[in-house]
Amino acid sequence: MSEDNFEYWRWREYHLIVPNVRLEKAKVITAGIDIGSVSSKAAIMVDGKIYSISVMRTGSSSPDSAKKVLENALEGTGIKLRDINYIVGTGYGRVNVPMANSTVTEIACHAKGANYIWGPTVRTILDVGGQDIKAIRCDERGKVLSFLMNDKCAAGTGRGMEVLADLLKIPIEEMGAASLKVDEEPDPVSCTCVAFARTEAISLLRRGWSKEKVLASYMRAMAIRMCNLLERVGCEKDLVITGGQSKNIGIVSRVEEITGFKTLPPPNWRENGRDPMAAGAIGAALFAKALFEKTANKA
Amino acid sequence: MKNSSDKKYSIEISQKEAEEIRNAIKAASLKVMDEYIERMKKSWPNRPEAMQYFYDIAKFFGTREREIQEAKEEGKKVIGYTCMLAPIELILAADAIPVRVSSGFYDPVKLGNRIVPVEVCPVVRSTIGVEMIGLSPYLKLSDALITPLTCDGMTKLSEILSDSKPVWTLYPPRLKDSEQSMFFWREELRTLKAKIEKLTRTKITAKKLKAAIEIMHKATRAFRRLQEIRKDAPVIMGRDAMLVNQTSMWDDIKRWTEKTEELCNELERRIREKVWACPPDTPRVMIAGSPAIWPDNWKLPNLVEEASPQGVIVADELCSGDRFLFDPVGVDEWTMDDMFKAVAERYLLPSTCPCFTSEDGNKDRVNWLTARIEERRVDGVIYHVFRGCMLYAMEYMRIKRVLDKINVPVYYLDTDYTREDVGQIKTRVEAFLEMLKSRVEF
Ligand code: SF4
Repeated sequence: MSEDNFEYWRWREYHLIVPNVRLEKAKVITAGIDIGSVSSKAAIMVDGKIYSISVMRTGSSSPDSAKKVLENALEGTGIKLRDINYIVGTGYGRVNVPMANSTVTEIACHAKGANYIWGPTVRTILDVGGQDIKAIRCDERGKVLSFLMNDKCAAGTGRGMEVLADLLKIPIEEMGAASLKVDEEPDPVSCTCVAFARTEAISLLRRGWSKEKVLASYMRAMAIRMCNLLERVGCEKDLVITGGQSKNIGIVSRVEEITGFKTLPPPNWRENGRDPMAAGAIGAALFAKALFEKTANKA
Repeated sequence: MKNSSDKKYSIEISQKEAEEIRNAIKAASLKVMDEYIERMKKSWPNRPEAMQYFYDIAKFFGTREREIQEAKEEGKKVIGYTCMLAPIELILAADAIPVRVSSGFYDPVKLGNRIVPVEVCPVVRSTIGVEMIGLSPYLKLSDALITPLTCDGMTKLSEILSDSKPVWTLYPPRLKDSEQSMFFWREELRTLKAKIEKLTRTKITAKKLKAAIEIMHKATRAFRRLQEIRKDAPVIMGRDAMLVNQTSMWDDIKRWTEKTEELCNELERRIREKVWACPPDTPRVMIAGSPAIWPDNWKLPNLVEEASPQGVIVADELCSGDRFLFDPVGVDEWTMDDMFKAVAERYLLPSTCPCFTSEDGNKDRVNWLTARIEERRVDGVIYHVFRGCMLYAMEYMRIKRVLDKINVPVYYLDTDYTREDVGQIKTRVEAFLEMLKSRVEF
């Protein structure tokens, strides 16, 4: 691929099957499907344990994206769609997940998922998705106590990072590290609005700023917005970050610096599937299990 | 009609343009009303027959519009008001027809934007737009308007509306609990009374005022009875109760009272028979803050009661709802003086509008809210604020503190007269209901 049509914004889609999950004795198989504005995630759980995770880009149609990501997650698992006992849809496209038995909001799912990924000490979750930011407080069981969402605009979210990756020609997964390569942290950009991100960045570059400095400035502004939300919801430890930006070191380190809270490190997700980016889908699969058991008990 | 050079605010809009916009919005609006009523019926399939009357009256352009039109042709006057501080009894005592004219239509906001900045609260911008094109039959039919100068938006709205109609301002003192305030307010109402008498050419005698107070007593009793019914397991959906409450603002109040009593009879029977409108463990929601005005701004009530998990609105603290007819005029002796004093007190003292302040920081509002929360067993409060509504926005912290203390979750929801944010708000409302639901289940 020549340099010119390299798609810097394109982050890696992936499918991961957790080894050593025994299917023969499985009692309940559930799935969670999280259709976000930028990425779609599916989690398959066997008796409440992650078996398969798939993360893909969201296409123009939510039902198609849901179908694709679930098929992808099922591939090579030996599980068929009809083997799944219960499916919960979540994310902004949750009502358009045709195979879902019911829906739960991404807010409840991220809290539940974070509780599963990091354990009962999690109290505050910062979910940075493709188009919005949520700050969630939960109890030791992962139940939501309160939450806040940012305004209806994509400022300071994953979508903005994609725009910048393209403009600065830095692969999206390297942007966080690049933003830390500055001698001195610059002032935050005055406007993180996605519509203006391009113009703002271009004008900074013209002023002679390095790409890294532009990134640092942009991520600082994003982090400040996130921290405002965290402050308003009342940040308590342990703090974790979920969603697409959870692995962006440029964001994570700045949030830690501004709030003074250490975030829990991302667990060994490549082996156990506990990917913070898929926290919503994982939470949804857990709700699916609870809901399935509830209906089974009633019947 | 004043000619345009005398106009302070209004801009020229040709009759043709006004007509075109009006017809388009009216047609869309008729559909919206039908659709909303159908949706309300869907979430309450076993509703009592008595509800039908209110669905009919809720259709803005129709029976009631014609009725008022005919009354006008027979010489009756129509007096509109923009806020619930306007004393209905004085209007009734002069044989005039009271109608509330603050607008709940979304689309006219764009017209309002031609005159005032978008930062202004949408109720105000929409009411301006509605007047520009003559959309609301009730505003159009009003011979004069009573405009309480509560917030900044309402104050300037009053000036803007005065370009096309006689406007009678009412200036409520921001401190309720002092002798001077009460004195001042009574004088305001006395001036208003003279204006009403002049327009209607009817003297408001003691006998007439007494009759009017009695009419409103009955309305208040029916109104309270309906709210009482919402205390227990839900026999009426919140949206329906809110619609009943709101129709009192343009319906014939005597007939409204009878119909509400009929509805209450049916609902009380249902309580005895344990016929619920939705499962008794449905999370019980209260809406506080900026008003939710029929027809378009039914967004939040719709979302709450159509959400998954579903919620039921068991109370509200809106000037368009539970607060409207809550307080009766308390008369000691039926003398003119005493009655007039009682009417004045009724409108000033119990009002919990955030336009008031006091040394204890509008404690009246806090008390009202906590009392309702307790008696209606509210699980959570949605604090509804329009962009640009400074007063409700600013009082949020005060209210939140109190609710935190009594362990009642509250969610701040800001919105505007737009359909664009429905998806976003839906997620917030559903997440809040999920939160309440898990509390309920514990
Ligand atoms: S909603 Fe707020 S700003 Fe608008 S009229 Fe009411 S008090 Fe005034």
